[in-house]
Amino acid sequence: MRTRFLKGCFGGFLLVICAASPLRVARAADESCDRACLEGMIDQYLAAMTAHDPSRLPLAKDVKFTEDGVQLQLGDALWATAGSLGTYKLVFAEPESGSVAAYAVVQENGSGALLMVRLKVVKRRITEIETLVARKPTTSILNTDNLTEPHPIFLETVPEGDRPSRQEMVSTVGKYFDGIEQGNGDIVPFDAECVRIENGIQTCPGSASSPLGALSCGAQLSTKIFTYIQSVNPRRFPIVDRERGLVLAIVRFNHPGTQQTVEVPGRGRMTMGRYSQWPNSTQIAELFKIKDRKIREITAVIVTAAYRAPMGWE
Amino acid sequence: MPLKKGVKFTEDGQRLDVGDGFWRTATARGTYKFYMDDPVVEQVVFFGTMREAGNPVSLVLRLKIEDQQIAEIETIVIRTGMNPSRPADTGAEAFEKLGGPDPLFLEEIPPAERVSRDELARTANKYFSGMQLNDGKGDYSFFADDCSRIENGQLATQGRNTVADGAAPATSYTVKQGCRAQFETGLIHFVTRIRDRRFVVLDTMHGVALAFTFFDHAAGNTRTFQTPDGKTVTAGPTNPWTWEIAEAFKVQNGKIHRILAIFQRCPYGMNSGWSSWEDGMSDKARW
Repeated sequence: MRTRFLKGCFGGFLLVICAASPLRVARAADESCDRACLEGMIDQYLAAMTAHDPSRLPLAKDVKFTEDGVQLQLGDALWATAGSLGTYKLVFAEPESGSVAAYAVVQENGSGALLMVRLKVVKRRITEIETLVARKPTTSILNTDNLTEPHPIFLETVPEGDRPSRQEMVSTVGKYFDGIEQGNGDIVPFDAECVRIENGIQTCPGSASSPLGALSCGAQLSTKIFTYIQSVNPRRFPIVDRERGLVLAIVRFNHPGTQQTVEVPGRGRMTMGRYSQWPNSTQIAELFKIKDRKIREITAVIVTAAYRAPMGWE
Repeated sequence: MPLKKGVKFTEDGQRLDVGDGFWRTATARGTYKFYMDDPVVEQVVFFGTMREAGNPVSLVLRLKIEDQQIAEIETIVIRTGMNPSRPADTGAEAFEKLGGPDPLFLEEIPPAERVSRDELARTANKYFSGMQLNDGKGDYSFFADDCSRIENGQLATQGRNTVADGAAPATSYTVKQGCRAQFETGLIHFVTRIRDRRFVVLDTMHGVALAFTFFDHAAGNTRTFQTPDGKTVTAGPTNPWTWEIAEAFKVQNGKIHRILAIFQRCPYGMNSGWSSWEDGMSDKARW
């Protein structure tokens, strides 16, 4: 290592000057992208997208772009149709890995669409762009009118001494997906006040008039009504924002269509959700707020897909 | 089944293990059956109907045979909810009402009139080229006067008439028009790209060509265009999405007489699972 370093510094003759070179320090600083820089990348992205002009972005030469799991040329798909942005914008980041993502509402020829965009930034250039776009009619539930501003809990900062490790936060969220697969809410560390919003619609706790009644997120899982989601894989955790206690999971729910009903204690045999009826999958970008080591708030962008359709990043 | 080692299987463009997907949910055969085969490349395609948990579905199935074993299995399964214009309709019931393919598809071409595989594919491909960013100004003489088109079991053209005898609304062609008249409106402009055109059956004995392909609707600034009479029109899908399609053509004497399509909505730009990304994005026909 030392030999390589010396060779890089004019064979060692100018070792002292090289190590302290202002040029070198400045370049290193130029190449890093802290939280403010990453959040600025999201602003640039959204502005370039609504201007239909990818050339406004600092792109790496081999940048990869996907929308709903399909690799496309940057400038195609939502880049061609995006109209004005809504007021809803939720940005979070993991500066240690150069990763940043946002949820945003965008108008598309008169209809609201919900966008999740994840960027990977290396040396201040965007190398990866992953997007999911929930639109009607491909998504069975969507209400962008409900999304005017992010829930403030997603923006709260966790005191520095109280931040769990990345590994612990990922493990906490992993238990949520295990609980879905197993139909067991008891293994998931839910906060008693946990709320889940999917494509702008609250899906737990339920309302008194919903088929399962006003059950909590955990109690819903324990009815086994969601076990038609036979597996949650692949599971990726591209962003863990320890400062804000957030984990972004990008996963695929697989529904083989082999189980359509389930016996729910106290309610008899119930028909499972629409997606239990035939082989299909959903691609999901799900953001979790971890508070006091429990899942306090969930918000998700969900897109319907063919059964086991690749997400483009496996 | 005689499966070749390493057999590849896809359903709706996704690679799965044989035995997964529709293999786990299929419950019965339906009554509509249409087989198209190409012994030269040892491929056969089946258009038919099936039942899945009792619900009617349409199936497209391609098998590639090697050494008398199945080496490739490609399927499209059209289920309820996948067609935005007819969300409750898979096309299966409409196909079964038809009873079977138009008899013209099954008629042999007299030996003296048979054309090469290349010529058969080139004629059928004119349909895709004339539709992509359709402007109404092309040479559409490849349509026979008796041309008709069936889409997911429904007649999508006016009988056997190519004359524009159905008045088109200002922004859309209509099923009251013939094959050629629809193209002459210039209103199919919203099909922005027809890509990954794979002709997998070229049956020169029957004059049948069959292609798997994708119709993209980019829905951006291509929504606004000019028709041949100089009108500026804004029309077509409002967000990007794609049809995943298998389309069969009856070609005789250099003209298209029948078109039969099975298709469903899929994510914009999706790959078939059988093409490189570059070929999947190209509008060049392959066979």
